[in-house]
Amino acid sequence: MIPVTETEISEKKSLLNAERVLLILTGAFLLVNFISMAILNSAFNLTDWLLFVVWLICAAVGDWWLARRLPRRDMLMFPLAMFLSGWGLLLINRLTQPFADRQAVWLVISVAVMMLVAGFPHALRWLRNYRYILLMFGLLLLIGTIILGRNPSGLLGAPQLWLGVGSVFFQPSEALKIILVAFLASYLAEQYPALRAEEMSGGRGFLNVSPRIYGPILLMWGISVIILVWQRDLGTAILFFIVFLVLLYVASGSTFILASGAALILIAGVVAYKLFAVVELRVDIWLNPWPEADGRAFQIVQSLLAFAAGGVFGQGIGQGSPGYIPVTHSDFIFAAVGEEWGLLGVIAIIACIAIYVTRGMRIAISQRPQSFLSLLAAGLSMLIAIQSLMIMGGVLKLIPLTGVTLPFLSYGGSSLLVSFIITGLLLRLSAGED
Amino acid sequence: MRSSREINRLLMVVLVGFTIIALAAMYWAIFGIDTILQREDNPRLFEAEAAILRGDIVDRRDQTLVTSEAAQDGVVTRNYIYPETSSALGYYSLRYGTAGVEAAYNTILRGDNRNFTAQLMHQPQVGTDIKLTLDLGIQQQIAQALNGRAGAVVVMGVPGGEVLALASLPTYNPNTLDADWEMLVEAPGKPFFNRALQANYQPGGTLQTLLMAAALLNRQPLETVIDNATDAVQLDNVDMTCAVRLPEMPLTLRDAYAFACPKPFEELAATLNREKVQDTFVTFRLNRPPTLDGFPAQPQIEPSVTPFPLITTDNLIENALGQGNLTVTPLEMAVMAAAIINDGNAPQPYTLAATRAPDSETWMPAEAVRPTIPYANANTARQLQDLMRGAVANGAAFNAARPNIDIGGHATIAYSGDETQAWFVGFATIAGRQAIAVAVVLENSNDPGLAADIGGTALAAAHEALRTN
Repeated sequence: MIPVTETEISEKKSLLNAERVLLILTGAFLLVNFISMAILNSAFNLTDWLLFVVWLICAAVGDWWLARRLPRRDMLMFPLAMFLSGWGLLLINRLTQPFADRQAVWLVISVAVMMLVAGFPHALRWLRNYRYILLMFGLLLLIGTIILGRNPSGLLGAPQLWLGVGSVFFQPSEALKIILVAFLASYLAEQYPALRAEEMSGGRGFLNVSPRIYGPILLMWGISVIILVWQRDLGTAILFFIVFLVLLYVASGSTFILASGAALILIAGVVAYKLFAVVELRVDIWLNPWPEADGRAFQIVQSLLAFAAGGVFGQGIGQGSPGYIPVTHSDFIFAAVGEEWGLLGVIAIIACIAIYVTRGMRIAISQRPQSFLSLLAAGLSMLIAIQSLMIMGGVLKLIPLTGVTLPFLSYGGSSLLVSFIITGLLLRLSAGED
Repeated sequence: MRSSREINRLLMVVLVGFTIIALAAMYWAIFGIDTILQREDNPRLFEAEAAILRGDIVDRRDQTLVTSEAAQDGVVTRNYIYPETSSALGYYSLRYGTAGVEAAYNTILRGDNRNFTAQLMHQPQVGTDIKLTLDLGIQQQIAQALNGRAGAVVVMGVPGGEVLALASLPTYNPNTLDADWEMLVEAPGKPFFNRALQANYQPGGTLQTLLMAAALLNRQPLETVIDNATDAVQLDNVDMTCAVRLPEMPLTLRDAYAFACPKPFEELAATLNREKVQDTFVTFRLNRPPTLDGFPAQPQIEPSVTPFPLITTDNLIENALGQGNLTVTPLEMAVMAAAIINDGNAPQPYTLAATRAPDSETWMPAEAVRPTIPYANANTARQLQDLMRGAVANGAAFNAARPNIDIGGHATIAYSGDETQAWFVGFATIAGRQAIAVAVVLENSNDPGLAADIGGTALAAAHEALRTN
């Protein structure tokens, strides 16, 4: 469907390749917005400009390193990642200024780790060979979070999804995303011939599905349930399960799996609606938020108001009132874009993420000969895609709200770091490195 | 790996998902503007409203009555400088909306007619200043004369129809409205009720002027002596008497008018009959009372009843004596007085004199064509003027007299239930064709002399104000 030609992902020798042009354009976009902020806000000072400088350095160093290490990489992914994360940094500075410095530090760390991933020899082979150790590590993190989890806000009753050392917090479920995708990719790559054989064996095979399939289904389902029950993290639970289903579908080619998985999610949803107050709340205010606009549905109503207030062209940076949405810098950053950059900004972000995902899926296709690499690329891309769809659909009241971050844009170090690790892995895959 | 089919399918599903997201965003961005954005709980409306720098309000002599002041946080506060004007000016509150002048000229004061670039560039919304026909000096003298009594005063310029003063008591302090709201809403005196424009008062003896007009038209003798003129009229267990206590004595119709004695008018109404009384009331437009543009009008007591009570043989007497289901507003009575001093042509009342755009220094007169409405012929009107001058010179309206000012008027009593209202309706002339008309009503008062005195004070103040410029 999407033709892949070698020349498209091939090396560009000239000084101004697509990546650099896009990075320069992104820099210009950010500069214009920073200037607008400086004009608008008399308190805008040197530390605010420092954010832009940090971004510039990250973009320049990242580009330089990638050009050295992965000359045959995809030319769009890094600029897209920098565009979205730069926009995110700008938004966080505008929305919750005190958090911007922290986010800038995380951006530096994220780009550095991405460079490490991109440059580390045989990084993907490591992922594959030590998958059980990684899985154990991931599960330990999960258990550790259940036992030792905290919430940086320190609020009682807030979901305790973070592990903290001093004032530095990390959300292990974010790291678990990559670990699980890598594990499943390598597991399914191994099982792939058997899975396909089973699928080929005909339609009636659905009734006697082998443990090869339901084994990991149960594992993933279990992890999702644990996350939901013990951590009340609805979004991550659903995300894990969907990404897993998608990978299983890619490996097996069985639409039955996809359909039964979707049915499982629905059943689990109904059960969760009955059992968990948080799920019930999310569904209720999704179905009809208006009567409770000043109560439980305040956040989603304010979010929709932000999109309406933005209109097509937006109010302009710093001129809207996205501050009415609680924790707008995190889950609801998309609504802030809607208010200040309008529909144009919203579509720009959707388009950027869509292009990013499309490039990732093309990498998956181009890596077909190696099942693990293909599944890894598809899994990581779908992780970004589904997470984006979940939160964007949530803030627009298309689906019930699931508290996940918008990749690259939302405030949150773990989320940003993981998004950049994914970018690094995908870049590596696009360059044909293992 | 044979998975490109699956990968492409997944990608298609995801891209469809992104498209749906974009369409949903499009829906809210385009249709949300007229729907959810207008919700009352949208804090943006409140915030935008709070940031509007409403225009100033000045009186006819450029005395600033209301100003707006923007604080550091962008929230604008409205300052009402003179409490004497508050019942006319009304209020502007983020929480409770607008009333009075603030409501009548809300669009102008807000500056809502901004051009596209101003909106696009987020230039702060600055309203237009307005100049009223009200005169602060007159308002203050009326407030002083009323001295807190419940009632209303309307002063109009003739022949223009400009409303020079508009007072209604009890009133409220618009500067502390939000804090006082609960108390004001519950207050027994109904401070938000603009009595000058909205109140359904029994006209009582004020209708004697109209009956006199009918008598003049129908060539009824004014000088014939009526024997039992000072007798009380009993109506619905209420004894209606003259406006001032008189010994039992015969009076001419002219004198009975001067002292507002009801008995001769009961007989006059019977003589004139139902049809002629109704014709006169319709000619003086009691069925279509004047209103002020943008201000609340007199509410109909019972919507089921036709707005103008058809006068029947049964209710002729009570309606002719102003005690039927026909009610009037002080504004209506002021317009009647204005018609009489304007040779029968009623000027139409208005309050907006001029507007001044935000970045302009010059006042643009509020141009409007306001044709007068004929209430009576000039001959009748002049005879009524003389009757009213007589009532001030030697009658119940004596207290309205002021040295060196030509004043006419009629002071009467109206009964509603156990209460009485004192009325004064009058005029004063200024050199040339200019004049002033006034209507005063005092609630819970049986002292028409006091009403006349307040009317005299208002007329003298207006006389002074108009003469000097």
